[in-house]
Amino acid sequence: MTGDGPIFRARDLRKIYVTGEVEVRALDGVDLELHRGELVVLLGASGSGKSTLLNNLGGLDVPTSGELLYRGEDLSNADEATLTMFRRNTVGFVFQFYNLIPSLTARENVALITEIAPNPMRPEDALALVDLADRMDHFPSQLSGGQQQRVAIARAIAKQPEVLLCDEPTGALDVKTGITVLEAIERVNRELGTLTVIITHNAAIAEMADRVIHLSDGRISAIDNNPQRRPVRSLAW
Amino acid sequence: MRALDRKLFRDIGHMKGQMLAVALIMACGLAMMIMTRSLILSLESTRAEYYERYRFADVFSDLKRAPNSLRKRIEEIPGVAAVDTRITGRIRLNLPGLSEPADGTILSIPDDRPAQLNQLFLRTGRLPERGSSKEVVIGEAFAKAHGFKPGDTIDVIMYGAEERLKIVGIALSPEFVFEARPGDMLPDNRRFGVFWMNERELGYAFNLDGAFNNVIIDVAPGADTAAVIAELDRLLEPYGGLVAYDRRDHFSARQLNDEIAILNGLSVAFPLVFLSIAAFMTSAVLSRLIRLQREQIAQLKAFGYSSQDVGVHYLKFALVIVVLGLAIGTVAGFWLGNNIVTLYHKFFQFPSLEFHPNYRAIGIAFIVSCGAALLGVIGAVRQAVKLPPAEAMRPEPPAEFKPSAFERLGLQKLFSPSLRMALRNLERKPWQAFFTTVGLVLATGIPIVPGAMRDGVNYLLDFQWDLAQRQDMTVSLIEPGSSSAFHNIRQLPGVLSAEPFRSVPARLRFGHRDYRTAVTGVPPNTRLNRALDRFGNPLPLPPDGLLLSAKLAEILGAKAGDQVWVEVQEGRRPRVLATVQGLITDYSGLQAYMDIDALRRLIREGGTISGAYVALDPAQQEAFMEEIKEAPRVAALGIKDAVRESFRKTTAESISLIQGLYFSFSVIVAFGVVYNSARIALSERSRDLATLRVIGFSNREVAGVLIGELAMLTLIALPIGLGVGTALAAWIVSAASTETIRLPLVLSPLSYSTAVLIVVTSALVSFWIVSRRIRNLDLLGVLKARD
Repeated sequence: MTGDGPIFRARDLRKIYVTGEVEVRALDGVDLELHRGELVVLLGASGSGKSTLLNNLGGLDVPTSGELLYRGEDLSNADEATLTMFRRNTVGFVFQFYNLIPSLTARENVALITEIAPNPMRPEDALALVDLADRMDHFPSQLSGGQQQRVAIARAIAKQPEVLLCDEPTGALDVKTGITVLEAIERVNRELGTLTVIITHNAAIAEMADRVIHLSDGRISAIDNNPQRRPVRSLAW
Repeated sequence: MRALDRKLFRDIGHMKGQMLAVALIMACGLAMMIMTRSLILSLESTRAEYYERYRFADVFSDLKRAPNSLRKRIEEIPGVAAVDTRITGRIRLNLPGLSEPADGTILSIPDDRPAQLNQLFLRTGRLPERGSSKEVVIGEAFAKAHGFKPGDTIDVIMYGAEERLKIVGIALSPEFVFEARPGDMLPDNRRFGVFWMNERELGYAFNLDGAFNNVIIDVAPGADTAAVIAELDRLLEPYGGLVAYDRRDHFSARQLNDEIAILNGLSVAFPLVFLSIAAFMTSAVLSRLIRLQREQIAQLKAFGYSSQDVGVHYLKFALVIVVLGLAIGTVAGFWLGNNIVTLYHKFFQFPSLEFHPNYRAIGIAFIVSCGAALLGVIGAVRQAVKLPPAEAMRPEPPAEFKPSAFERLGLQKLFSPSLRMALRNLERKPWQAFFTTVGLVLATGIPIVPGAMRDGVNYLLDFQWDLAQRQDMTVSLIEPGSSSAFHNIRQLPGVLSAEPFRSVPARLRFGHRDYRTAVTGVPPNTRLNRALDRFGNPLPLPPDGLLLSAKLAEILGAKAGDQVWVEVQEGRRPRVLATVQGLITDYSGLQAYMDIDALRRLIREGGTISGAYVALDPAQQEAFMEEIKEAPRVAALGIKDAVRESFRKTTAESISLIQGLYFSFSVIVAFGVVYNSARIALSERSRDLATLRVIGFSNREVAGVLIGELAMLTLIALPIGLGVGTALAAWIVSAASTETIRLPLVLSPLSYSTAVLIVVTSALVSFWIVSRRIRNLDLLGVLKARD
C-alpha cells in the first residue's frame, strides 16, 4: 500500500440527485488530489457538497459522472461488493453522532472492525491511542459524548486504514470535548500517517489542517495551504 | 378527514406488511371462534327447532309386547304430556346390485290417530294412505344413497316373510338425525335404512296386531323425568319392558351432543392462544412505532394536541388491526363453517341444516380482540403521552446494555461480537424475546396436531380392525338364539371359524355415575373379537367380572379393581355387582365384556347367543353372502371391510379439512411472528446495521447480525415447540375423543419433521425478505441525522 502518487484523484466529478422534477447538482465538476499523510479539512456551508464528496471518497456512493481513482483504481464504476471491500480494508469513518453499537462495549465496538480487517491493531491499542484505555469495558450508555466519539475514532483507525474520513466529528460536542476529539484525530494522522479528511462548517478547525478545501455549490471555490499546522490545543471557537 | 387521521392512514401504508401479519394471526383465532360458535349455533338452533316442531320425545322404552289398551295407563303417569306407542322391528333388505345383505329399522305410523311424537318431516311424496297395504316411507339418507324416489319398490324380509314394498314418501325424523344402525359409529346409508309403515299393517307383519313394543313419551315441562321413567319401568315390566331411558342415552341425540361438546372445547382454547400472540405482536409493532415517532408526538403536543388526542391517535392503529383481523376472521370463519356444514350433511340429517352466522360471537370476538390489542398497546401509548414535548424532541439516549448472563458466567471468550449483540439484545428485552419464542413454539407445535390425527387414524384402522376385531363378519340375530343357531352359522359356506356372543342392554353404575350400554358375553379364549391392552396384547377374560373400555371406565370414574353395578335392562332386569378386572384399549364404541357363561348365568339363560363373530374364507365370501341373505333369523351383518372403508372415507375428508386448517394456521403464525420480529429488529436497529455496512460489513454479514438473534430464538423454540405440539396433540385428541370414536395419540417422525420444516421455511422466507431490505438501507442517512 505504498506509492508516491496521490491516494485519490478526482477529475470532473459530478453527482446529480434527481428527486421528482428537481435536479440537485451536489457535485458539479470537482478536480482534486489527496495524498498520504495529509490532513485535509473540507469547509463549506450546508448544501455545499462536502458530505457528497466525502461519501464518494469513502465508497458510500458513486458519482454520476467523472473519474474517481483510488490508487489508480476506478471507484466510479465499482460494484457493491467492491465498494464494501474498499470500505472494509481501506477507509475508517467517524460520524457526527458516533454511531456506536449500543449493545457492545467500547472494546467490542472496536473488535467489530479488527475481526474483519486484514491488518488490524489490537482493540486495546486503538483505544489507548485515543486515551480510553481505562474505559474499554464500558457500554456506550456509560460514556460521555466525547468518550463515545473517541471510541468511534478508535474503531475507525483500528484497522490501520489508509484513509480516515470524519463527518462533522465535533458537531455534537462542546468545545472542550471537541478539542480532545480533534487531538485524537490529529495524533492518529501524525503517528500512523493516515490520510485524514475532516468535514466541518467550523472555520476555526481549518487551522489544524495541511490543506483547507473550500466548497460551495458543488464546486471547489478555493484551496488554502497552511504553511504550518496549528496545534489543536490552541484552537478555539 | 382530519390531518391526524390522514397521518394514520399514511403510516399504516408504510407498515402494511406488519399490520397484515398481526391481523392475520388475530384472524386465525377469530375465524376459529366465529366458526365454532356459529356451528354450535347452527346445530343447536336447528336441533332445537327440529326437536320442538317435530316433537322429539323425552323418554324412550322398548318392550316385548303390550296391548294397546296399556297406552291409556301410560298417559296417566304423572308428568306425562303425550305418549305414542309404536311397533318397531328390524327388517332385511334385498337390494339389487348389493352383494352383501342390508338391513333396516322399521317403525309404525299410527293410522287411527295423529302421530303425537317423533313426527316425520316429509321431504317428498306422502305418508302411506290409511288402509293401504305395502306402502312405505323411507329415510332420506338411505333414499339418497340408492337414488330411491316415490313410486319405486323395494324388496324386504319382515319377520321371515318376503315382501315387496312401494315407496310413497321420503322423510326425516328427529330420532334419526344420525341415521345409522344403532351402535354403529358412522352412518352406512347404503346398507342401513329407516322405514315407516302403517301401524295396523306392521302389526300384522310382526305378529303384534293390537299391541305395541315401543313407547315414546313427552314429559310435561317441569315434571321429573326420572320419576316418569321409574313409573314407566314398573308399568312395562310385566310386558318384557327394557328399562326406559331419556334423551341423554338416545343413540342419535348422543352423537349430536358429542359433536357440540367438541366444538365447545375448540371455541375457547384456540382463540385464546391466537389472540394472546396477536396482542403481544400488536404491542411490539406499536411500541416500536411510538418510539420512532417520539419527535412527531412532541411536535403534536407542542402544537397543542392534548395527551388524549395523541393517545387516541395511536390506539386507532390497534383498532385498525382489530377491524382488519375481524374482517378476515369473519370471512374465513364463515367460509370454513360453510364447508363443515356441508360435511355435516353426511352425518346429520336435518330438514335443513344451514350455516347460521353467530353475530353475537362476532361482537364478542370484536370486544375480546379489542381488549387484547388495547392491553398490548396501552403501556406504550401511556409512555408516549407522558413525555414533556421538550424532552421528547431530544433524541433518545443510547439504550442501556450490560453483559449478558452467559458472559457474566465467564463464557464471553466463546462469543463473537455479533453473537454478543444478539445475546444482549435478547436479555435487554426479555418479554419481547419471550413472546417471540412463544409464537414460534406455537407455530412449531400446531402442525404436529394434524400429523398426529393422520397417524392416529391409520393406527386406529390397523389396531381396531386388524388386531382387535379379527372376524370378517359379525352376524346378529333378530332374537336370541339357541346353540343350534350357532351351529347353523358355523355351517354357512366359507366359515373358517366362528365364536358366539351374547349381548344384553345394561346400565353400568359406579357411585353417582352411570352409563347405558350393552354388556357382551364372549367365550374366555376368544380368537376373533379380542379385548386388548394398550400394547395390543390380548387381555385374558376372567371367569367373573368385567372388562371395560378405558373410556367407559373414565366416564364412570371407575378403575380396575372397582366394583360396578351391572343393571340388565331387559328380562328380569337382574342387578349384580361385578369387579372391573381390566381396562381395554379400543378406539370406537364403548365395550363391556363378560365371560359368556357368566352373563348367561346372570340373566338365567342356557346356551343362548345374540349372534356370532365369523372368520371367512375370502374365496367363498359370495356364497356366504348368498346364504346369509336367505337366513330368516339374521337381523344384520356387520362387514368389517365395509365399516373400515366407510370410516376411512368419511374421516379422511374431515381430517384433511382440519389438516389444511392447522397447516395454514401454523404457516401464518410462523411467518407472522418471524417476519414481524425481524422487521421490528430491523427498524429498531437500522442505524446500527447501516453503521456496520458503512464501516465495511457486507450485506450478508449485516443480515447475519440481525438474523442471528431470531435464528437463536427459532432454535430455542423448535425443541420446546415439538414438546408443546405433542402436548397440544394429546390435548386435542383427548378433547375430540368421544364415546363413538377416539383417536390414539400417535406421533411419528414425519409429523415432527413437517413441523420443523414449516417453521424453518417460514423463518428463511422472512429472513430473505428482511435481508433484501438490508440491501436498501439508507447508508448516507446514517451519517447525518440521528434517528
